[in-house]
Amino acid sequence: MDIQKLKDEAKRALGRKDVEYLIGYQKGSYGFRVSPLFTSKKEDTDNLTFSPLCALSLVNYLTIEGKPPSGTEDNKSKAKKIALFIRGCDSRALNQLFAESGLSRDRLYLIGIPCSGVIDLRKLEARFPNIADPVEVQEENNHYIITLNGERHTVPVEELKADTCRVCRHPTPLTCDKLIGEKIAGAAPNYEDIQALQEKTPQEKWEFWQNQFSRCIRCYACRNACPLCYCDGCILDKLKPQWIKRSVDTLENFMFHITRAFHLAGRCISCGECERVCPVDIPLMKLNRKMERDMMDLFNFEAGMDPELKPLLNTFSIEDPDDFIL
Amino acid sequence: MSEFSPNIVAFLCNWCSYAGADLTGTTRTHYPPTVKVIRVMCTGRVNPLFVAQLFRRGADGVLISGCHPGECHYMKGNFLARRRFLVMKNLLEFIGIDPGRIRMSWVSASEGKKFADVITEVTDAIKKLGPLQSFKETFDGHPKT
Repeated sequence: MDIQKLKDEAKRALGRKDVEYLIGYQKGSYGFRVSPLFTSKKEDTDNLTFSPLCALSLVNYLTIEGKPPSGTEDNKSKAKKIALFIRGCDSRALNQLFAESGLSRDRLYLIGIPCSGVIDLRKLEARFPNIADPVEVQEENNHYIITLNGERHTVPVEELKADTCRVCRHPTPLTCDKLIGEKIAGAAPNYEDIQALQEKTPQEKWEFWQNQFSRCIRCYACRNACPLCYCDGCILDKLKPQWIKRSVDTLENFMFHITRAFHLAGRCISCGECERVCPVDIPLMKLNRKMERDMMDLFNFEAGMDPELKPLLNTFSIEDPDDFIL
Repeated sequence: MSEFSPNIVAFLCNWCSYAGADLTGTTRTHYPPTVKVIRVMCTGRVNPLFVAQLFRRGADGVLISGCHPGECHYMKGNFLARRRFLVMKNLLEFIGIDPGRIRMSWVSASEGKKFADVITEVTDAIKKLGPLQSFKETFDGHPKT
């Protein structure tokens, strides 16, 4: 993808009268880190970048800025747009937010970037540990070109690509005002890992999750990083009734993760942010992907595909499966 | 040791299943004394997270019972419940709770006999599964051994 085109488009977007500011990516302060860039000045667009290191979802900043639905009224009065870089997963998150009336399409100017997948920072840092200076990473012919201290390293994409991007079905943004670069085809649905876990006995499954959830420290990073967890009065913060105790023990962690997975059922767009930010490596996408697969099999529904479609669990069909009912 | 008597929580909708359960009593039909009934106005009112909470608080099984499809007092509450509980059942199954512990049934106000049959069937099934110890809350927060 041509970075210059991206910068030009960002400059053009900031030149529009109805755009207030832009959210994009810039080089981070150290190592492989990338940080978001918030700007309303055209000259700052020279710092913009996009590379396979840009794993962070910028959609989250929209909901942090004015947590919808309660925040939307304030923002309406401003009536100015935010320009935003989006990838395929981000566009689905936005579609889902539009469908839930969590955010208004009129407030956004979307610059779409077809994304061929991002790098899993854990794998990269395991390979190149203790890097202090900012590093450039490019993707060429199925290889990542990593320039470190003037030295070029070539690593096959498959070795570093994030797991969630390997199974990405929609790498090209579904909705945007301007698309930069060529469209990319998505992968076919593949749920082998989910199937393998599902076929185990209840005892084995419980032990698997017990092993995972016992590590959870309840930092709530998975919730905070999720572009679709934007409720003002989150059930986890409530004391009356207190659904989940504050204490961190394995069984309360089960409750927390059941709640989280259920609240994302039919809404999760598989961006993999929760798993990426988890400090103790809990495979949260396994839960989300299980739900995603069920929605496909049972209701032929995929989240974030249509901004007009009502949320799945707020609707019903007379033909829903009922073979489990006595 | 005495035989295991399961602890089943049943959410019954006010308009059909609760009246059906009432009919079971007035016609003096016997069913196992294993259910604790919670009357709700509609199955659509039952938050699927209640199920996980109940397992946490000591239930061995949960039954949600409402009006037959198309007969809901509020037109669509039971359809919404059907979709939500199917999703919750699948999620809990994936986490390692036997799906046989989450049951759903349609019992109308005239089906007193069916209500007794449903309770008998669910009780028998959960007796076979045994008590659910893994998720049960104790004072130190760890499962009973």
